[in-house]
Amino acid sequence: MKKAKHPAIFWIFLLPVLFAFSLVIVVPFLLGVWYSFTNWSATARLGETLRFIGLENYAKILKDPSFAYSFLLTVVYTIFNMVAINVASFSLAMLVTRSLKGKNVYRAGFFVPNLIGGLILGYVWQFVFNNAVPSIGTALGLASWAQAENLVLGKSVSALIALVIVSTWQYAGYIMVIYVAAIENIPQELIEAAQIDGASPLRRLFAITLPMTRQAFTITLFLTLVNSFKQFDVNVSLTAGGPATMFAGQPILGTQLLALNIYNQGFRSNDMAGGQARAVVFFLVLTLVSIIQVSINKKREIEL
Amino acid sequence: MKKLLLAIAVAVIGTAAFAQGITLAQGKPEIDAVLKAYAEAWSTANKIPVTIKSVGGSSGTDLGTQLKADLAAGDMPDIFGINGLEDYKEWAALVADLSGEGWVKNTSVAFKVDGKVFGFPVAVEGWGMAYNADMLKKVGVDPKTLVNYAGYKAAFEKLDKAKATLGIKSVVSMAAAIDMGWVTAHHNFNSLLSNGLKYGDLSVVNSLLAGKVDAKRLSEYADWVELLFKYADKAVLTTGNYDSQVGAFATGQAAFLHQGNWTDPNMTQANATFKMAFAPHGSMAAKTDGIFVAAPSFYVINKNSKSIAAAKKFLNDLVYTEAGNKYMVVDAGMIPAFSNVKLNPTGQLSKSVQEYAASGKIYSWSQYYFTGDFRDKTLAPIYNQFATGSITKKQFVDLMTKAFVSLKK
Amino acid sequence: MKQKKSGLVAFEALAVVLFVAFLFPFLIVLVNAAKAPFEITQNPLSFPTEWGKILANIGTIWTSSNVRYGSSFLSSVLITSLSLIFLNLLSSQAAWVLVRTKTKLSSGIFILFVAAMVIPFQIVMFPLLTWFREIANVTGIRLLRSYAGIIVAYIGFGMSQSIFMFHGFIKSIPLELEEAAIIDGCKPWETFYKIIFPILKPIHATVLVLNGIWIWNDYLLPLLVLGKGNRIMTIPLAVSNFAGAYVKQWDLIMTAILMAMIPIVVLFLFAQKYIIKGMVAGSIK
Repeated sequence: MKKAKHPAIFWIFLLPVLFAFSLVIVVPFLLGVWYSFTNWSATARLGETLRFIGLENYAKILKDPSFAYSFLLTVVYTIFNMVAINVASFSLAMLVTRSLKGKNVYRAGFFVPNLIGGLILGYVWQFVFNNAVPSIGTALGLASWAQAENLVLGKSVSALIALVIVSTWQYAGYIMVIYVAAIENIPQELIEAAQIDGASPLRRLFAITLPMTRQAFTITLFLTLVNSFKQFDVNVSLTAGGPATMFAGQPILGTQLLALNIYNQGFRSNDMAGGQARAVVFFLVLTLVSIIQVSINKKREIEL
Repeated sequence: MKKLLLAIAVAVIGTAAFAQGITLAQGKPEIDAVLKAYAEAWSTANKIPVTIKSVGGSSGTDLGTQLKADLAAGDMPDIFGINGLEDYKEWAALVADLSGEGWVKNTSVAFKVDGKVFGFPVAVEGWGMAYNADMLKKVGVDPKTLVNYAGYKAAFEKLDKAKATLGIKSVVSMAAAIDMGWVTAHHNFNSLLSNGLKYGDLSVVNSLLAGKVDAKRLSEYADWVELLFKYADKAVLTTGNYDSQVGAFATGQAAFLHQGNWTDPNMTQANATFKMAFAPHGSMAAKTDGIFVAAPSFYVINKNSKSIAAAKKFLNDLVYTEAGNKYMVVDAGMIPAFSNVKLNPTGQLSKSVQEYAASGKIYSWSQYYFTGDFRDKTLAPIYNQFATGSITKKQFVDLMTKAFVSLKK
Repeated sequence: MKQKKSGLVAFEALAVVLFVAFLFPFLIVLVNAAKAPFEITQNPLSFPTEWGKILANIGTIWTSSNVRYGSSFLSSVLITSLSLIFLNLLSSQAAWVLVRTKTKLSSGIFILFVAAMVIPFQIVMFPLLTWFREIANVTGIRLLRSYAGIIVAYIGFGMSQSIFMFHGFIKSIPLELEEAAIIDGCKPWETFYKIIFPILKPIHATVLVLNGIWIWNDYLLPLLVLGKGNRIMTIPLAVSNFAGAYVKQWDLIMTAILMAMIPIVVLFLFAQKYIIKGMVAGSIK
């Protein structure tokens, strides 16, 4: 493509997506940001007109301890989740790229959890943790499993771990697909040469497999980062943000991630504009973190 | 294959009937099927299409959210449900004045603001401590003693000692998990607000809203909450959902249930045939012999609706036609809020509510004077912490007091 | 690839164990699909007394006028397939021009698209509604409560991730192929559709599957754009009519999950073989 800087084909091929993008993302996003500076309610309150109120919504965020808590909690959750999902899915990918008999069946099996929507998935797991696990405990003679104090969803810390378990279960197969593609793209000759040289499996992993899949890591880390940060469906259905815990001297919802916090602010507290403001803050932070993550990864890729 | 799909698409879009009908959006999915059946019959009889939308429960959205989306989409229903003052305030600019409707004179619980009627009461509901009469009889507890803290304490102790003989896991089936916060921070909260007070007396409500707390009343209330939590099945209390809470009582694993007469259909579903009735809450040292009865939800009419007349007729017919009455009472199992309706629901708990109402032993539902935000975000976590044992009774009282003081404007 | 036999057997065993562990919750779903609601919460692990109930439940769901499973199924199929076709065509061609055009504007647009993946849905969901409604008021084009609207919405929301994925893979396609085509006299669009597009098969399959699952299962966007209880409903919307009251009708929910999953599982099993074929072909080249 050495002719014009932006040949006609550039615009022709881009136009449809640019159109959809502006229509569905850009305009609503700008509108949404605009709403965060107003007293928008999405309802029909008497005597209220839509008016600009500046940074009032943003100031309110600072006064609410639950937002700070949700923020910190989401960061912690994201870190755990990213590690759990990537370790699990990479391991699974390594497993299913061997010449196993049931290879395709296993791949499908690991992927299947991703086929259910998050809401239903959360309810199923809520059922598992609250009802099935105690039953199994009783059946196995482990009475402590059935005790109320030991219920996983009864305490904030274990409930958060439950969240990580469920979302790992949900996403591992999805991310595994990406790793499988990357692993199967590694030239056979490299691996065979290493085997002939007598390199142990662990050495092969670190010297060949990991470096050759660096590009996949950039993608998967980005995807798991963004998806963990945005987690909503499973949060709502598995824990509903509970149980409660103390923070800054106030009882607040103990497993309420950021997306749920925003949703509750908008819909439960009937403060739609406030919810928008929180969403804007959320977006800014996530953008910043993603940029950092991707640039670090890109640098590593180039070093290859 | 593509051609077939295209054809189907065209057919579906093409046959869109844009007839002028009415849409009703309500928040009780459990009556969805019977309401739709009634609406279809009414629709055929009156030649006006009716669309029923039921939202709620575990589907991930609730009615408030759905209505907001409908408003933004320009698709506001003609009739929709609201739950009290705060809800009304959200939609006040859209709600039609129904003071001139015929049914107004037949009910005492219509939703009124400044003397004008805005809401059609959907049903009369009541709640208290539902008890398994057979179990109580077996152990020798007289339900008539269940009118104050002391009475309940004695009864719970007796029942607790007899757990093995009765085959129950715990005396009380109570829920305090965050997604069951409505049981504690909406319903149980009423004990503090209106137990023992004359119907419609808002003195406690008003002083709390002004940030003034009656320490004695709160302390007695805290004792009651502590008692309930103490004798409740911890698993159901901290992580149970509606099914497990109601199920425990219905399948005979608990002697008391902290819910209302809306659980009657669940009792039928679970084949719970034992004798049951309501007893008052024991939240005070003094005797209180009534239960909480009111019409909690109302239908309002969208004043910008293109079919106001049809909407008004739909509501009217619920009250004045046989089919409407039958739907309300027999099919949906609701206690009618209208004096002219002579039918009675068959559920035991509904019958119990009607008995209390008939003898005037009722207390108000006053939780709606507090914002949903306050109850869900501030109060529910306090109850939850208390239930999980993370805070003591003293801390519970302190946090509740702090919460009310913060309401002072 | 030679590997010790015992090693392979050990891995096979591990894979089986993990497979079962992964599918364990589904077993619970299956077992409980044939029980009465209260039985489910009281005895979660017991085997149902009558397995035939599953068929009865499937029948209830299929014929329920509430759910309109038949028409919801068709709607879901229509919306999902059209969205997927457009997403693949439009995203791959856009990604190609973005990769091959090395200008600041091009990278800028790409970064913009990727940045959009970070936007939480909450910011845009309501403004999307008011905006679509404005469009209808001003131009008369009905985007809400229509197939056109929801498909455009899916293209808009899905293109970022799709372009992202195509972009990565197109970068690794050698330029010589295209240069040869140009020398042969191919016009740009021919170069793309005749040469590049077929090479992208593995990524097409991956993008198809990933987007397909998301769109098929999506609840929130159809809830807003199509609305509940209107003429067009997708499967998740229809199924939500079952999560009723505070009483979760587990028997029906479980059955509905089964019914919703089967088409996607079938699609995946087909696409998966294709992905692998494509991978193998790609690596040999």
